Amino acid sequence: MAQDRRQEADYLTPLRRLLGSVLILALFGLFLFWRIDSPRVERFRAQVVDQVVPSFDWAMAPVDGTLNILRDFQSYTRIHKQNQELRRELQQMKAWKEAALQLEQENARLLDLNKVRLDPRLTHVTGVVMADSGSPFRQSLLLNVGARDGIVDGWATMDGIGLVGRISGVGSKTARVLLLTDSSSRLPVTIQPSGQRALIEGDNSAAPPIEFLEAPELVRPGDRIISSGDGGVFPAGLLVGRVAQDPGGRLRVRLAADFERLEYLRVLRHLGTETIQDPGTLIEPRLNGEEKTGVDLSTREGVDG
Amino acid sequence: MAEHAAASPARIWSMRAIYVVISLGILLLELLPQQTMPRTFAGPDMILLLTFTFALRRPEFIPSGIVAMVMVLADLLLQRPPGLMAALTVLASQTLRNRSDGVRTLPFTVEWLTAALALCGVLIGYRIILAIFVVPQAPALLVLSQLFSTALAYPLMVLGCAVLFGVRRVAPGEVDTLGHRI
Repeated sequence: MAQDRRQEADYLTPLRRLLGSVLILALFGLFLFWRIDSPRVERFRAQVVDQVVPSFDWAMAPVDGTLNILRDFQSYTRIHKQNQELRRELQQMKAWKEAALQLEQENARLLDLNKVRLDPRLTHVTGVVMADSGSPFRQSLLLNVGARDGIVDGWATMDGIGLVGRISGVGSKTARVLLLTDSSSRLPVTIQPSGQRALIEGDNSAAPPIEFLEAPELVRPGDRIISSGDGGVFPAGLLVGRVAQDPGGRLRVRLAADFERLEYLRVLRHLGTETIQDPGTLIEPRLNGEEKTGVDLSTREGVDG
Repeated sequence: MAEHAAASPARIWSMRAIYVVISLGILLLELLPQQTMPRTFAGPDMILLLTFTFALRRPEFIPSGIVAMVMVLADLLLQRPPGLMAALTVLASQTLRNRSDGVRTLPFTVEWLTAALALCGVLIGYRIILAIFVVPQAPALLVLSQLFSTALAYPLMVLGCAVLFGVRRVAPGEVDTLGHRI
């Protein structure tokens, strides 16, 4: 009684093929639309992520926890070695702590002497990392804070020690952090103590290279790298890392933030860098009509601007 | 054209649901913040592999609409340009579906090779189109490593699908529930 099924389906074949082509064209059209009007599609993407990822949270949290426990179990196997290492490090740390305390006191004294005013508007929002980019080709994270917490695109993100990346894409409940290691990340920096300006270009490696360095001979491995605030996107003076040299002689950044384990991140509120627009005008003594010229300058300092 | 009805509608729909659930599970595992360091080696693209396995073995379980939905979601969540990878995957899975009739009487190595060729087509086509549209791309070495690892993982995926969900090739002469030869 067996008969060939394919004959029955023959009239369906062209229809199916047509629908398939329409589907492929529609998907390709979506890509074209993204290429033409990227911000709109990226907003849509942020909304989708905002809806989907938090709803996965009930499943992700236990799996993530279990994986972390397994990872910690692995470290139990070399616990003795680790213990010794920790003791050794603790010894060194004690010495460092003494030095740090002395330096802190000295620093406080000097700041007081100099009447330095730290920026009081630099506050932060702390967020928990919910997800990473999920693909080996992008380096980004998803935080559980978003537009409802006042997060704005472009704000700097730190892990308490060093800079991690910047906010790129905000949903209402989530925000995406583009890490410094992503290949589309660019950060203007200053290298201390030589004061050289450079750009850190992420290239999907753990230590991004330092580019556009004017005088590389002034920079040595071990120099501190801080954000320069050029371009007005980032606050200046955030620690990024230290200079390192790879075997090919290229200068790279050893990032200060611990990229192995990013769990809690600080998003720095940045309310814009104030720029000085006034070029500064001539300073002259204030002249009232009845006053004589030839005022003694020691008492009157008319600063009109 | 593959128009198999080797299984009852209930089984077909449950297998479609399983495909969607596994894909979501893979996405979830990939999104876990366990890997925040840049990798030098990219593991297999499991969703692509799953789709190809189904398309070659039991095409009736994954209609193009479901593949498109899953892939667009993956594109959006994994920060890829939305739509492109989905379009290429649907195209490749349709090609594989058309070939699944011929492939099922041939040895497994031929099936493996067919899947690997489809993978090359998708990943290389993806790169070429991105290059044409001047979209920044991932390093070539990383993509190559993903291509190789995905191709090598195909037998494992086939084995897993066969053991866990009974996704087997239709043997020649097998009949469906209505007694039709397929």
